[in-house]
Amino acid sequence: MERIQYPNLQETLYYEVMDNGLQVYVLPKPGFSKTYATFSTKYGSIDNHFRVEGQEEVKVPDGIAHFLEHKMFEEPEGDIFATFSSQGASANAFTSFDQTVYLFSATEQIDANLETLINFVQHPYFTDQNVEKEKGIIGQEIQMYQDNPDWRVYFGLIEALYKVHPVRIDIAGTVESIGTITKETLYKCYHTFYHPSNMLLFIVGGVEPEHVFKLVRDNQAKKSFEPQGNIERLFDEEPSEVAEPRKVAKLAVSMPKCLFGFKETELGLTGEALVRRDLTTKLMLDLLFGSSTSLYQKLYDEELISDSFGYEYNSNPNYAFSAIGGDTKDPDLLLQRIREEVDKIREKGFTASDFERLRKKKIGGYLRMLNSPENIAHEFTRYKFRDSDLFAVLPLYEAITLDEVNERLRSHIDWSKLAVSIVVSPS
Amino acid sequence: MNTTQFERGTVNQLRIHVLPTKRFKTFAISLYIGFPLQEETVTKVALTPFVLRRGTASYPETTQFREQLEHLYGAGFALDVYKRGDYQIVQFRMDTINDSFVQSDESLLEKSFNFLGEVLTKPVTENGHFRTSYVQAERETIRKKMEAIVNDKIRYAAERCIEEMCKDEPYRLHPLGKREDLAGIEAAELYNAYQDWLQNAVMDLYVVGDTTSEEVEQLVKKSFDMQRTSSPSYSQTRAITGVKEVKTVEEAMNVSQGKLNMGLRTSITYGDDKYAPALLYNGILGGYPHSKLFRNVREKASLAYYASSRYDGHKGIGTIQSGIEIQNYKKALDIIQKQLESMRAGEISELEMIQTKAMISNALREIEDSAFEMIAFDFNRQLSGKERSTSELLEQVQRVTVQDVVAAAQTFELDTVYFLKGQKEE
Repeated sequence: MERIQYPNLQETLYYEVMDNGLQVYVLPKPGFSKTYATFSTKYGSIDNHFRVEGQEEVKVPDGIAHFLEHKMFEEPEGDIFATFSSQGASANAFTSFDQTVYLFSATEQIDANLETLINFVQHPYFTDQNVEKEKGIIGQEIQMYQDNPDWRVYFGLIEALYKVHPVRIDIAGTVESIGTITKETLYKCYHTFYHPSNMLLFIVGGVEPEHVFKLVRDNQAKKSFEPQGNIERLFDEEPSEVAEPRKVAKLAVSMPKCLFGFKETELGLTGEALVRRDLTTKLMLDLLFGSSTSLYQKLYDEELISDSFGYEYNSNPNYAFSAIGGDTKDPDLLLQRIREEVDKIREKGFTASDFERLRKKKIGGYLRMLNSPENIAHEFTRYKFRDSDLFAVLPLYEAITLDEVNERLRSHIDWSKLAVSIVVSPS
Repeated sequence: MNTTQFERGTVNQLRIHVLPTKRFKTFAISLYIGFPLQEETVTKVALTPFVLRRGTASYPETTQFREQLEHLYGAGFALDVYKRGDYQIVQFRMDTINDSFVQSDESLLEKSFNFLGEVLTKPVTENGHFRTSYVQAERETIRKKMEAIVNDKIRYAAERCIEEMCKDEPYRLHPLGKREDLAGIEAAELYNAYQDWLQNAVMDLYVVGDTTSEEVEQLVKKSFDMQRTSSPSYSQTRAITGVKEVKTVEEAMNVSQGKLNMGLRTSITYGDDKYAPALLYNGILGGYPHSKLFRNVREKASLAYYASSRYDGHKGIGTIQSGIEIQNYKKALDIIQKQLESMRAGEISELEMIQTKAMISNALREIEDSAFEMIAFDFNRQLSGKERSTSELLEQVQRVTVQDVVAAAQTFELDTVYFLKGQKEE
């Protein structure tokens, strides 16, 4: 058991790597009633083409990581939710582009719940019949998202930005693609990506670290996993230009939705370099589009944006893009106005006082995030899967310079890398 | 379990509730302002906080106002308008970093109070009323928000079901008011309504963090510039019961998934002694993944991705919601009604009781780990007049028997079935 202290944050983190490669982290929160645990695999919707060292190359249907997540909850004796409920734990799971996370939150029977979490995720049980049944349920989930204009405009943007990269695939797949999923393909993905060496267990709450590590050690000692070589994730080459500069979808909406973004072309960053670019870009977007900026206020006064206006930056070693926008009565006018105003700012750069104020805002936002055990667990895992440390973010914020943010403004806001996604009502 | 208690006080007829604790990295501040939900005032009350968030006497321009929040280490500042029983609640929330985590030479708690106090009591004015341009812009903002509800079909169907069900009660009103009233509200008229609201609304201010009630009272005296003479409090919402006939409403829209929503009425409200059995009723029916609705509609029949129920003790209503294939309407409705009948007939297993009690108890114990959830739970007491701590409710939940749940089930009567369907299925 190793211990890392973060005096600035008043937190102490404990960790241990199990013999089979599973990474386990424990963050005790004295005085907290609840324990929150996540068991995560570095496996998401983008991992649809891969090769394990010494084995054959495999291509799998779109949406399979998410399908697998649904199916993990089924055990021979029934639905694992029933077990969690009996033990007073609220359980759930989610799949993103690059990870799948299983979780529970409980105030009692922590040991039993932890064992249940580890055991069900390490025990696949797929039959032809239970795989077929899930297709109806996930089909309804896909349809629910099809009716959601925010989801449509977001995925429309990613499809407009990317030609071949699997980030453009809807996380749940399509009714057609999930139709081809079989128990054999599920087992293949399971055995590749749910190997302990590809997984991370994070426990935060009113727990005693050594007790937790012993529980996990004993649990893992009872199971055997074949050693597995490295997983090579295969991606076809993505051109640097966007797939489609402008993409329009029709769906009944009260007002058009417009989301635009820039495709990052410098790829391959990992660890601290990736985090630093991430933080710098988000700070830059705050300075440009934040609700305290004069640009935001101008566009609001011109009735081109509303409270729905927002922005994000999504980055990973092999793709990264921004997504900016919201509801607007006139997508083309909004884009034109943004382009005019952003070009002016791009030339001058940001001021030192705006930069310092928004850096403070970011630091405050980071500290507030640490009030929530859920956020800590999710963010910590996301950072770790990128070979970086969530708790080392504060010094990075302090190290970022104004020049760096201005440089990011000039490199990221590149109009030749712009794509626009619009959702309008059918006329 | 932590059993820290809120310390209570009153300044200027503003009720103050403080929970001193070092458990969190922030000061959580929540101000609840409640006003009776009624036709004549609902739109003005909704519009007021949107205008207040545009600028104050010290920070008249919206950019200045928002910059000030950023200076406070990006203090969270949120505004919400919603219904609780027959009241329209305006809630301001702030979440400010405890100074000990940052190198700050000023008290961030004090600065936050100065800010919040100004937002509420010293808005920027011109000619003795709100700034006209802000009123116009925020009317537009609310109009857009109301029109945008239809974009989210899950929410739209839920709100439409309530609107149909409560046609003849104030509860039919949307918390953001009536779209048709917006255009006619001018700055001077709104300012008068604001003065009246400030004087007569019920106000509860909560702070959770590393402070004391003495400090908070001092800060309120300094930063809230108002003289309230009356001491309003909440009166209890009476549940409406005795459904004569089940209403069925179908609406067609361009959707690929149908939304089936149902509204039920019960005589049991938050303050009732039977509140715990009603919680169990809802939990067994559809509150969790082990519940009857999830198991039968989703897992057994594979008809839906979501199928759940909710219980609102402040109003005495239950709701059911599910997203289904449009042609499966009758099938889903039939399965759901069977679950309602089985609850009334007492087809409730020991396992369902154990699971549901464990889940409700867990949710109650988890409240202590979140400042804003502790605040929200305590506010229920102000609203309902019912003193009941989380641990008392926990005990009551543990004592509930199957017979109690069956008795509660008899009080839940189906009132309205609402179905949002596709346009081509006619």
